Amino acid sequence: MKRCLRNIMLALPALVAGACMEYGPQSEERFDLPGRGVFITCEGNFMWDNASLSYYDPATGAVENNVFLRANGMKLGDVAQSMVLHDGKGYVVVNNSGVIYVIDPATFRITGLIEEVVSPRYIHFVDEKTAYVTDLYDPRISVVDTRTNRIRARIDTDGHKSTEQMVQTGDRVFVNCWSYDDKILVIDTRTESLAGSITVGWQPNSLALDANGKLWAATDGRDGEAPALWRINPATLEIEKKFELPPDTPPSRLTFDARNNRIYFIARDVWRMPADAESLPAEPFLPYAGTLYYGLGVDPDTAEVYVADAIDYVQHAAVYRFSPDGEPLDTLRVGIIPGSFCFKRQ
Amino acid sequence: MLRIAAILIALLCAGPALAQRDSTARTVDIERVEIAGVRPMKEIGVQRTVLDSALLRENISSSLADALSSGSTIFIKSYGRATLATASFRGTAPSHTQVTWNGMKMNSPMLGQVDFSLIPSYFVDDASIYHGASSVGITGGGLGGAITLATKEPETRGFAMRYVQGVGSFTTFDEFLRLSYRAGRWSAVTRVLVSTSENDFRYRNYDSKQFVTNDNGEIVDACYPLQRNRNGAFRDLHLLQEFYYTSRQGDRFSLAAWYLDTDRGLALLSSDRNTSREKRNSQAERTLRAVAAWDRLFGAVKAGVRAGYTYDDLRYLMESDPDGQGNFTPVTDARSRIHTLFARAEAEYAPNEKWMFAANVSAHQHRVNSGDLSLIDATTGRRADTLYRQQRFELSAFASAKWRPTPRLGIAADLRWELYGDRSTPLIPALFVDWLLAKRGNVVLKASAARNYRYPTLNDLYFQPGGNPDLDPERGWTWDAGVESSLKSRRSSLRLSATAFDSRIDDWILWIATAKQGVYTPINIRRVHSYGVEGKLAGSTETPSGWRLACDGNIAWTRSVNRGDKFSAADESVGKQLVYIPVWSAALTARVAWRRWELVYKWQWYSERFTMSDNDLGVLGRVPPYIMNDLSLEKNLEFRRLALSVKGCIYNLFNEEYQSVLGRPMPRLNAAVFIGITPKFGSR
Repeated sequence: MKRCLRNIMLALPALVAGACMEYGPQSEERFDLPGRGVFITCEGNFMWDNASLSYYDPATGAVENNVFLRANGMKLGDVAQSMVLHDGKGYVVVNNSGVIYVIDPATFRITGLIEEVVSPRYIHFVDEKTAYVTDLYDPRISVVDTRTNRIRARIDTDGHKSTEQMVQTGDRVFVNCWSYDDKILVIDTRTESLAGSITVGWQPNSLALDANGKLWAATDGRDGEAPALWRINPATLEIEKKFELPPDTPPSRLTFDARNNRIYFIARDVWRMPADAESLPAEPFLPYAGTLYYGLGVDPDTAEVYVADAIDYVQHAAVYRFSPDGEPLDTLRVGIIPGSFCFKRQ
Repeated sequence: MLRIAAILIALLCAGPALAQRDSTARTVDIERVEIAGVRPMKEIGVQRTVLDSALLRENISSSLADALSSGSTIFIKSYGRATLATASFRGTAPSHTQVTWNGMKMNSPMLGQVDFSLIPSYFVDDASIYHGASSVGITGGGLGGAITLATKEPETRGFAMRYVQGVGSFTTFDEFLRLSYRAGRWSAVTRVLVSTSENDFRYRNYDSKQFVTNDNGEIVDACYPLQRNRNGAFRDLHLLQEFYYTSRQGDRFSLAAWYLDTDRGLALLSSDRNTSREKRNSQAERTLRAVAAWDRLFGAVKAGVRAGYTYDDLRYLMESDPDGQGNFTPVTDARSRIHTLFARAEAEYAPNEKWMFAANVSAHQHRVNSGDLSLIDATTGRRADTLYRQQRFELSAFASAKWRPTPRLGIAADLRWELYGDRSTPLIPALFVDWLLAKRGNVVLKASAARNYRYPTLNDLYFQPGGNPDLDPERGWTWDAGVESSLKSRRSSLRLSATAFDSRIDDWILWIATAKQGVYTPINIRRVHSYGVEGKLAGSTETPSGWRLACDGNIAWTRSVNRGDKFSAADESVGKQLVYIPVWSAALTARVAWRRWELVYKWQWYSERFTMSDNDLGVLGRVPPYIMNDLSLEKNLEFRRLALSVKGCIYNLFNEEYQSVLGRPMPRLNAAVFIGITPKFGSR
């Protein structure tokens, strides 16, 4: 009994002092993956601080999850929105952390960062030394000097907040304004100013440019207005074609397949259609299978299709990889809510 | 000893009624019936935890969330003082814990949950926790359980006053004033609490690094910065006014009105690289709750009615200034105004010592006006205004019969039915049994079982976008069985209990994106099996030399497992613990008092909590376990005209770095000092 009591007394201080506290510095891991690959930005849950970056090697099928944290010993942040590769660097836009991390695409190590943006959504490279950053809350587009990663200027958007994706033809950058809006803004890159706008349907959520040089937009629609796909002539700013969809299936995640000049989008099922089609396809590329498909990507080199299934939005999501013919090639487990794909080409 | 215990229980149950001379004879009749067989008839088979008054009066800065964490097996999810604190009772969701204040529902009709950080423990005189099936006797929908909070009339005759001031780390100030007057048949109490804090504690940020860059924007150095909690400042004001009156005939009237006005910053996440001059989130709340009550004993019948009103004005504001000059403009301005009218009638009848019947009916009428008032078009002045306006009538009818055929055995049956809007739940039945196994040690076996339903909240049904008006109520089956024992001698007492529980909840409402990108919709999809064991211990003793020792502890093992169908073939959450519910939790409060000194040691432990439904063990998949230790020392000084108390508290005694929720570092070692003044007005 005495011995038992003594053991308890000895164990007590360790228990009381909290010997099992684990919160502290994260270890850093070395990566060196210079070949072809796919980055998958996993948004994580809003305000949960659990965004992550996954990396997939299509040649070997190997998946590395949480590579940003593992390489840098720190979290990616809250809501990883998008990623772009430019000039041998990866730019990861972390929306609710107010930052764009610049990483080495082979080692995943941070090499720089762009701050002073409140709620960044996408980054677009206008030329070798200039990038534009859209923002959910700022009615201005931030102009970044990519040589220093500093904000050089801001382009006023005439009160339009919630600027989203950007595509460029010549000296014009087109930007869709999503939340409570119906505009696609036109930015003149020479003057770095707003040069006009195109009115489309309610809440244009994504934007793409096809090989014919035509602009595509997907809109949510609302009561009395069907969701739709829009094909626009960017030279004349005229709407060429409007493809209406059923009210409960708005299109989103417009993605361009450069090899085949096709447009992919999610509207409950995953759909695809030729860029010069005059009507919506009759059969989906991939039918709905119980959970909403969340992310969509098309490999610019192989035209393979990546479709993300967020499952219940709080677990390792699944990404299904398909051949251009729709044949299942692989299933990978990535982070929480994979929203976008970024293809690293050799 | 049995007799003494019976008298003690009778006194406790009778409460204020016994203090009234004219109603004494009537009171004894019914209360004597209630204590037949030692245990009150009302509590046959009921699993109830009473929060100790010492716990509720621990500190003026404590909220009910603190008291529940220390004094019960309920898991409180919180990330620090003055932040949202929600309860998980027996592994269920926050909306599965029903809370009443003086008989009126406190759960938000919009969200279904209660923020326990908004309830100061000093404003609660009685707090009881009803576990599982036992909640059916309080209200429906308590798939985890129910908590009843009440105020009660002052015990001190004449005029009494107590003023407490607290000064703590992070520029924290608390002021509490209680004035009470009791004379003849009426009494009044006024309580005021004001708390303000910059709440800007320092922490080492292991979630995000600080970088040093050169002129080319290249990183040349990095470290985990020592930084302050940003935008966590808060200001809380609480005002509570009570009146009590007892007529010569034994009618007891009461009125309690509680007003709260809070303005709280929602701290930036640890990984957020915005400064507090670029982004600011805050939540302001103004709430008035008022309940008027009447009850009276008519021999074997006790009857009562209550009426109440709640006004709740909630404002969530997100503001930004991209230029970092602190010139904020709103980007989200979500505003909700809720009016609730409440009425309740109740009666209890105890014809003899073996039977007791009770019935009550409660009605709530809610009116909700909820919208996002942020400006979306500066030229036209158009606001977002996307949410909803709804009204809903809710009715809950209850009847119960309790039978104690022998002093050792008690059997009870409850039946409840609930109406919400134009729909109703099926009947909610509950059965209870207890058996006095041994008089020595007062060993009692208890068991209960219930079928329970929780109907959807107004947000579940009508939130725009996403609300689903076709939702069904969640359905729960629960049972528990346990043993409890209490030992008492002249100087010491010991209470022990252990309970096993098992609950299955079907049609659990989960918000999920089902058809449209970015729009979440609630659906009846999840099936959850929660089971576990709860243990409680409370003991006290006094040595001949005058040392008084007391301890109060609890431990819970809770498995809350997703038993639903897979969302898709890739779903790996089935069979796994639900997120943010610890499998193990324990708390212990030890008190040592000698003469006018009191030392209190509080210890809490939570095992890891998964943050991913597939129970990933990575950094983003779990919050590590933690142990927390707090210490306080109080000295009471008695003077001729006043009593003075000085109390020093040390929180996070071992200066631990930890998180309770991902991305939310907690304060390290911090302290507070409280000075209490109680003037002596020559009370009789």
